[in-house]
Formats: sequence, C-alpha cells, structure tokens
Amino acid sequence: MTRWTRLRENSLLLLPSVILTVALGIYPLIWVLRYMFYDYPGYGAETFVGLDNFRRLLRDAAFWESVRNTFVFAGGKLLITVPLSLLLAVILNGRLRGRHFLRAVFFMPTVISTAVIAVVFYLIFNSYNGMVNQLLMKYHLIGSPFEWLGPKHAMLTVILAAAWGAVGNYMLLFLAGLQSIPHDLYEAASIDGAGPAQRFWRITVPMLGPVMQIIIMLAIIASLKGYESIMVMTEGGPIGKTEVMYLYLYKLLFPVATSGAVVDQQFGYGSAVGFTTAIIVGIITAAYYAMSRKMNKVF
Amino acid sequence: MWKKSLGLGLTAVLAIGTAACGNSSNNGGASSAPASTAASSSPAASSAAPSKASGDKAVITYWTDDRHDQEYIKSLIDKFNAENSDNIEVELTVLSENYNQSVDIAFSSNKAPDVLRLKSANTETFVKKGYLAPIDEYVTDDMKTKFSSLLLDGVNIFGGKLYSLPNSGQTLRLVYNKDLFDKAGIANPPQSLQEMVDDAKKITAAGKSEGAYGFALNFKNPKSAFDRSMREILSLSGYQGLGYDLKTAQFDFKPYSQVVEYFKQMWEDGSVLPGAETLDIDPMRAQFAAGKIGMYLSFATEPGVYKDQFPTTINWGAALAPTLEGKQVGTSEIVSAGTWLGISDKSKHKDAAWKFMAYMYQDDILTAYHEQGFGISVVPSIAEKAKNPDIPGMEGFLVGEHDSIWPVSPSVTPEGANYADAFFKYMLGGGDVSKIVTDLNTRYNDALAKAVEKGDVKTQPDPSFDPSKLGS
Repeated sequence: MTRWTRLRENSLLLLPSVILTVALGIYPLIWVLRYMFYDYPGYGAETFVGLDNFRRLLRDAAFWESVRNTFVFAGGKLLITVPLSLLLAVILNGRLRGRHFLRAVFFMPTVISTAVIAVVFYLIFNSYNGMVNQLLMKYHLIGSPFEWLGPKHAMLTVILAAAWGAVGNYMLLFLAGLQSIPHDLYEAASIDGAGPAQRFWRITVPMLGPVMQIIIMLAIIASLKGYESIMVMTEGGPIGKTEVMYLYLYKLLFPVATSGAVVDQQFGYGSAVGFTTAIIVGIITAAYYAMSRKMNKVF
Repeated sequence: MWKKSLGLGLTAVLAIGTAACGNSSNNGGASSAPASTAASSSPAASSAAPSKASGDKAVITYWTDDRHDQEYIKSLIDKFNAENSDNIEVELTVLSENYNQSVDIAFSSNKAPDVLRLKSANTETFVKKGYLAPIDEYVTDDMKTKFSSLLLDGVNIFGGKLYSLPNSGQTLRLVYNKDLFDKAGIANPPQSLQEMVDDAKKITAAGKSEGAYGFALNFKNPKSAFDRSMREILSLSGYQGLGYDLKTAQFDFKPYSQVVEYFKQMWEDGSVLPGAETLDIDPMRAQFAAGKIGMYLSFATEPGVYKDQFPTTINWGAALAPTLEGKQVGTSEIVSAGTWLGISDKSKHKDAAWKFMAYMYQDDILTAYHEQGFGISVVPSIAEKAKNPDIPGMEGFLVGEHDSIWPVSPSVTPEGANYADAFFKYMLGGGDVSKIVTDLNTRYNDALAKAVEKGDVKTQPDPSFDPSKLGS
C-alpha cells in the first residue's frame, strides 16, 4: 500500500467524524461567537451591540447568583459522589457475597433517565404528599409538612437526587481502576503485616491516583454542567435558590411562554452567557487538572 | 433564511450542550435537555384520515396544540374532506408539546403547515417571524360584520393587516371548594382580597388537621401562577393585569404590588398549601380535586379538567375574582380571545387553506364548539344563541356583564428577573417593596423604549382610558 493510498483511506475513514464535528461543533460555535455581539430575538433585524451583552452580564445579579448556586451544587454533589462511589467500589471489589447483583443495583440509576430520577425524588420529597413527610408525620416525628423543596432546603434535596443518579457510574469507573491494581501488592503488604486501612491508604489510593484524577475531573465537569434534574424538580426555584448557570442559560434560549405574554428568545445574550459559562467551567477544569498533577506521580 | 434558522437552532443547542468543553456522557445518565426538546417537538399524535384519491388534490396540513377538542376537530375535518367540492384534503396534526418550537423547526426546514392554531401568546411572534399570511383579501363583508367588535390591533391585526379571527376565549375565575368553605363557616366566595386572606385563614384552621389549606397556586412557575391570578384581580380592580398602565403607555407595577401584599399575607399566615412553591398546575389541580385546597384562580379550562383529567367528588364552584376594594371597578379580562386559525405565509395552497378556515368559522361549528364546552364563545352572534355547555362548574366561567376583552399590552423582555419572579421572591423572602416596584418599572420601561425604538412595539397613551367603560 502506497503512502498516498493509505492517506486517502485514512481521510475517508475520518471524513464522517470530521463532517459531524464541523456541522454540529464548529459551525454552531462560530454562530455563538458571532451572536454574543448581537441583540437578536430569533426574528427581525440583528443589531450589533458590541460588548453590551457582556456589560449586561456583569450587572446581571441573577446570573452571578446562578454561578454561586452552581458551585454549591457541584461542590455538594462531588463531596457526596466521589467518596461514596469509591467506598462502594472498594466494598464491591472484595469477596462480598452477592457483589455482582449489588453492582448492578448500584449501577441501575445510571441507565435511568435523569428526568425520571428527578420525578421520583419529587414524589419522595415534595411537601404536600411526599413519602418522606408522610412517614415522618405518621410516626409523629414532625407535626406539619417539612419543606424539603422550600427555599432553605431545596438545594440539599436536588444535590441528593443528582448524587444518587451519579454514584453508580463513578463506582463502576473506580471498580475498573481497582481491578487493574495487581493483587500481588496486597499479598505482599499483608505478609508485611499491613492491615486493611493501611492497604487502602498505602496501596489502593496511590495506585488509583491516575484513574481518580480523571474520574474527579469528569465529575467536576458533569456537576458544573448538570441542570436536568433541577429543571424537573424545582425549575431553579423557589425564588432562584436552585438556579444553576446552565439552567439559567437554557431559560434564555428556550423561554416558557405563559398565557400572559410572549417571551422572546435571547440568542445574543444567551450566546454571551453560554460563552462565559464555558470559560468558567474550562478554567475550573484546567485549574483542577494543574493542581492534581501529583495524583499521576504518587508511585 | 434557512441557513440562519439552522444556525440559530444549532447555536442554542451548542451554547447549552457543548460550550462547556467537556463531555456529558459521564453525568450519571444525564442526557441533554435541549436534545430531548428537539426530539419531543416532532409532530406526534393523530391525523384525520385522507378520504379521496390524489390527483389535482390540494393537500393542506393543519397543526394545533389543542388536545382537549381533537376528536371534535377531527370529525369536522373528516366531514370537510368528504364533502368539499374543491378537491381539498386537510391533514390534522395534533402536537403534544413544544408547539412553538415545533413550528419554528417546521418553518426553518421548509415543512411548515398550511394552517396553524394561533393563540394570543404566539400570534405576535409568528407575525414578526414572517410565518403568517394576512387574510384581509379573503375575509368577506359578512365575516367582518360578524367579528367586527373583536378585530383589534395587536391581537389579530398587526401593521394594519388581519391575520386571524376569534372563536373562543378564556375567562378567569376564583375556583373554590364549597365543602371547605361550608366547613369553615363561610357562606360566599370572597369579594375583596382582605376577605380572601381571612377566608384562607379560616379554611386552614378548620382543615389543617386533615391536610386542607386555604389557598394555593402553581408557584413552581411564578409567572404562570401570577398570570392566572393577579391578572384577573387587577383587571377587575380597574388596572391592566400585566403591569402596564394604559393611560400613560408605561409600565407601573405599583397596583400589582398592592395585590402581592395580600398573597404575602396568606403565605405568612400559613394559609397556603405547604410545598406550593414546587407545584406545577396539574399536581395542584390534583390536590384541589382531592379536597386539599380551599381556593385558587385559573382559566375556564378547569371544568373540563375536573370532568376528565382529575374527576372529583368535591363540591366546587367558580366565582369572579376578588378585588382590591371589594368592588368591580374594571372588568374581568377575557384572554386568548382574538385568534384561532391562521394561514402560513409559506403555504402553496393559500386559497385552499382559506376555504378550510372559512368552513371552520361557520356559525354551526362555532356554536357547537361552545355548546360542547371546548371554549367559551366570544363572538357576540354565537354567544347570544348558543346554549350553555353542560359541564359541571362551567356555569361559573360563562361570559357575563363583568367580562370583556382588554386593549393589548406590549410584550417586552426586560433585563433580569421578570415581575413574577421578583414579586414571588418578595412574598417568600421579604424586602423593600417600593424598591422592587421602582426597579421593575425602570427595567420594563427601558425594555419598552428599546422595543419601540426598534419598531417591534407601538405604544399610544390613552389618558381617557376608563376600565369601567370596557365591554359596555
């Protein structure tokens, strides 16, 4: 096979991916980069507004509150998801009876639609007839319905729902990492008198370093971008307490028209918000990656 | 145009789904909502059966998002297909959801329907987007006479051209549970907002031990909740219901804030169903049907809901909304009343589309539409002769002396939170209401000024506007 033939074959094989990337990735990205300097509701004239959309973004308190909420949501989800999925992976990597069944059980939420998970959590936690409140009231642990999805506790509830949906996925990734650790290391450590805790901290954690670095990075990105369960459970409410930045962006691009009035789509401002949120997520991800380099070199 | 539309669609999806540089496949099964939105916007549901062999037949498509009347509409279309002498065949598509986005996609991909169901919430946008064809050249003198009092600028007329004709409208009422009112010793529904606050408190005191509370609304979406409640309270109290002052042609949310204070009081009294801030409209209706809510406000769709969707054994009724002072200074606004069907500007069969439209606007069809309870007729000649629909609860929603269509208020998109979100935040979290009103007035009037400057909106102050004269 000549070099020319190989090049042609390789190009042909790459072509579908290139076409899809250009059509669905690069082309719309160019539109985003263009529209963020325009005022455009989806019809009529496009008005060039220079940096006005970014000036508006700087004074948009609701957007910055959504950024703050995103950090709380992502932080809370990570704090629950990563340790819990690691713990489950370690337990289910042992010789526990029924571990294959339990792995399937814990992985199950990953294959369920996020919207369905959110609906189920809504049915469990809503104040007026949720199962949790009914149980608590039945056993007289509370006198009146507790506002799980009220302004004070809604964020915690949506974090729990999101974490429940994600734990199984990360557990599986950790499990794959654990199974790649040579068993000899544990045997040698046991002969040297190391207990379970020492084996975990001295062998498991360091050996999982590179895998953990990637898993945490994926978890950070997913947590910062996650909004689907929130949209179903609270729509960002009450009073914006669970409004995360991608939900805020979604509402700008796909506003809900009520019976009262038409709500214009805000492509220009939405593009500016989309660009800014991408930069925020990108910076955090890059910062994490830079700070976590050591995880790659622990052994 | 299609390039731009395609670009816009992809831009929206990209801005949400992929702008954040990472992949989303790791999100515990989280899939992208925009993608599902686009997917679910494909036409679903049903088509009326074609009845003739093709030839020179003009096949036209009619898209609607009305589900409640689809069997009736289907039967009308079957009859039209079988009997029309112009070799026209109509295909009906009933969309399940995301109607506006489906229409956008259809127009951007040159697959637009010939006839569209229009509502007050989307007509102006569809006209601005160039989706609709004017129907002035088709409308006969008889039709002009029949609908004359209902042809309004900004409702069905835009830029001096007529785009649709009215059929039915929605009245809004206070919906109340008579059993809970009886139990609390209240004889009649409240006339004033203070009475509403007091009644909600009494109902809660009498019913809380069994999970029944005085008041609720679908506060998960504050705008949807307020636009079905505040709007009527304000219009009956003599103020435009969406915060627009028709006398000055400026937004002024001061009257709105006065109504909000009473809602806030009910919240602070503990008279609102716990968890109402997370309620969508249907879960709220389910709670009302279960006898857990004393009263709420909503559209004339409610009788149909309690007949079919949430059949209930409770004894309920509908009454005019309470007002600020307990007196009806204005009239209860009939909403979504000026439009029904419209013709696509892209249609290759506009004449055929009009023949179908003219058929649908015949007296006997409009009359049956009202009598079967699909909507309350706002066409005077129909409303006069039609019998009342035989649906429990509908009697409270029928158009009466206190109902009228109001002049249209301009739609603007302000920077920051909309009025409903801002006031709901005040209801739950408190704050300085005068500052909130000032902020809303500033942002809405800035947006109005920009819209006027761009030519999207026309405003005309009417210093002599008198809400008590509406409908007379």
